[in-house]
Amino acid sequence: MKDNMNWSLFWSTFKKTYSIYLVLLALFIVCSFANPNFLSVNNLTNISTQLAVTTILAFGQTILIISGMLDLSAGSVLALSGVFAVSAYKSTGSFTVAIVTGIVTGVVCNVVNAVMVSTFKTPPFIATLAMLTMARGVALLFTKGQNILQLEDFTILGQGSIGFIPIPVLFLIAFAIITWYLLRHTKFGRSLFAVGGNEEAAAASGINVSKVKYSAFIINGIFVGVAGILFMSRVNAGLPNGAINYEFTALTAAIIGGTSFSGGIGSAGGTLAGAFIVGFLDNIMNLTNVDSYMQQIIRGAIIALAVIYDIRSKNRRTKNTLGRIEDKSGKSGKSGGRRGEPIQEIAKGPH
Amino acid sequence: MKKTFITVVSMLLVLVLLAACGNSNTQSSSGSEAQGNNSGEKVYKVAYIARAQSDSFAAWLANAVKEEAKKYPNIKLEVFDGQASDDKENSMIENAITNKFDLVIVQPNNGEAQRPYVEKVINAGIFAITTNARISGIEGASTVDADPYEQAGVNARAALDQIPQNAKVVVLNGPSGNFHADKRRESWQKEFFDKRPDVQIVGEQIANWNKDEAMKYMEDWVQANDKIDAVVSMNDNMAAGALEAVKDNAKYSGMLAYGVDGTAEAFQLIKEGKMTSTCLQNAFELAEKLLDTSNKLLTGVEKQIDTDIGNPLITKDNVDEYIELLEKAEALK
Repeated sequence: MKDNMNWSLFWSTFKKTYSIYLVLLALFIVCSFANPNFLSVNNLTNISTQLAVTTILAFGQTILIISGMLDLSAGSVLALSGVFAVSAYKSTGSFTVAIVTGIVTGVVCNVVNAVMVSTFKTPPFIATLAMLTMARGVALLFTKGQNILQLEDFTILGQGSIGFIPIPVLFLIAFAIITWYLLRHTKFGRSLFAVGGNEEAAAASGINVSKVKYSAFIINGIFVGVAGILFMSRVNAGLPNGAINYEFTALTAAIIGGTSFSGGIGSAGGTLAGAFIVGFLDNIMNLTNVDSYMQQIIRGAIIALAVIYDIRSKNRRTKNTLGRIEDKSGKSGKSGGRRGEPIQEIAKGPH
Repeated sequence: MKKTFITVVSMLLVLVLLAACGNSNTQSSSGSEAQGNNSGEKVYKVAYIARAQSDSFAAWLANAVKEEAKKYPNIKLEVFDGQASDDKENSMIENAITNKFDLVIVQPNNGEAQRPYVEKVINAGIFAITTNARISGIEGASTVDADPYEQAGVNARAALDQIPQNAKVVVLNGPSGNFHADKRRESWQKEFFDKRPDVQIVGEQIANWNKDEAMKYMEDWVQANDKIDAVVSMNDNMAAGALEAVKDNAKYSGMLAYGVDGTAEAFQLIKEGKMTSTCLQNAFELAEKLLDTSNKLLTGVEKQIDTDIGNPLITKDNVDEYIELLEKAEALK
């Protein structure tokens, strides 16, 4: 009887932590059988290159969502950073100037986001929606709505490779590691979870909530800036109209990867897996020439499934927690008010 | 904190006030000019309501219209930006009626959505012209446009001889429901695919006029097919995206690629021999015809006009003269 319980506990923990990777693996196997070209090295490299930009955005979103925020302006700010970086490169010929320009643009826009969200207490949804419109407007005004062409050597960042690994994929790997490290192994990462889980509790336990929010947006700004540079370099043009709706692709990857919109839950690995699930699906649908409209329906259905799964598993988790508390105390009435406690424990941990 | 907030709000208010003053200045000046210019000739107020200043062709057209209007001392032009929204564009049309413009030019965001509003313009006794794309069948309204069917058609007819037997091709479409996207695709169907049943479409997707989306589709198609003989794209941006995906791949160096619009990038690709042909949608020519039509309507020469610009096919042979034309467009910005 006890063994049985341990096994089920083990299985539920395993499922909670690794289910997303199992889904990814299953999809990978199905795709391999669905089309012989899927498994070719070229195709897999392609998928990774295609995913680099949106996945880097998704890491930024993961950091924000974990701390109870989000960034709807990512696609527009990406275009603005990219367009500025491209013009900087065209007028100076220097990669350093271009990269710094792109990143600074991303950071400045996100500091404005942070001012609205943290200082003026605007809901992140509205604040970043405002930035979405403004950043796109600036990009269009700056370019007068025209594409910037002939980037020449600038394309090396998006189209070149080191050895057999494309440079965007190297960026993707680097940002995955950075995000994982930030979330798992730093005090800042733990404060993100604390703020997202329960802001009041986090503040009460001595976390500077405003500083955490500013930092989260600034990091997101760096990610978006780099993504902008990679994007423009890959398409060999400064597209003021580029990357429309990329924020939603990024959010999709984060959500499928198990990041919870209620805050306090999410991981770099999950988001990476989420991005690849979307990437594999898109790729296999193109390889097998699935109709455009059908593709949209399938993509939507996947998001719906992921969110339903997220909510169901959260309910189960709440029940489990309540159940355990009940077991310990032997009474059922007192458990309701104690749900904030674990978060406070996490929050206190790093100090 | 409270202080900062008040400062920011008051600064914003001042900004709005200043902007409003600027506007009322132009309005009052245009109002007085409407009475007559120096030579005593009547000056007409014309509103140009653009679909969106954010789309690169619409921006070029708006600039060209502004430039062309300078040649007409009897026309005072004001440009409005519909911001790619039916709702905004419709309310701008209504505002133009309220502000008693003499003529309203509408570049619809979505023809059917603007139709009742253009009808309102006519009912108010104001001249109306619809352009790029025209809204046909409104009694009393004039139209100036390029024919999207023909724009794709000139490419498709040339392709009949160029695309090899049993070729495998991929097709890149514009947004579904867009008048130009649908007409261009229909033209390729009737002028090419129906006449060449040997040609196989191995991939067809909506890339929303975008270079980045087209590039991604092409990368996937290259994996799925051992060869692709031609890219049939409904605009130049998407054709350029497809070519970007295979630019370092020797296997695709002889691939044909067709577009429409006549963008600077397409001209460059045609000159380099990477792209086969495109059809120029010439904003200068549209602007010329728009102002000429406006002038004829306002001065009572004609009551209603429907006219089209030409659809020149641009290939390696004639691309140089059009590059010069685009350089002029560049200087306009």
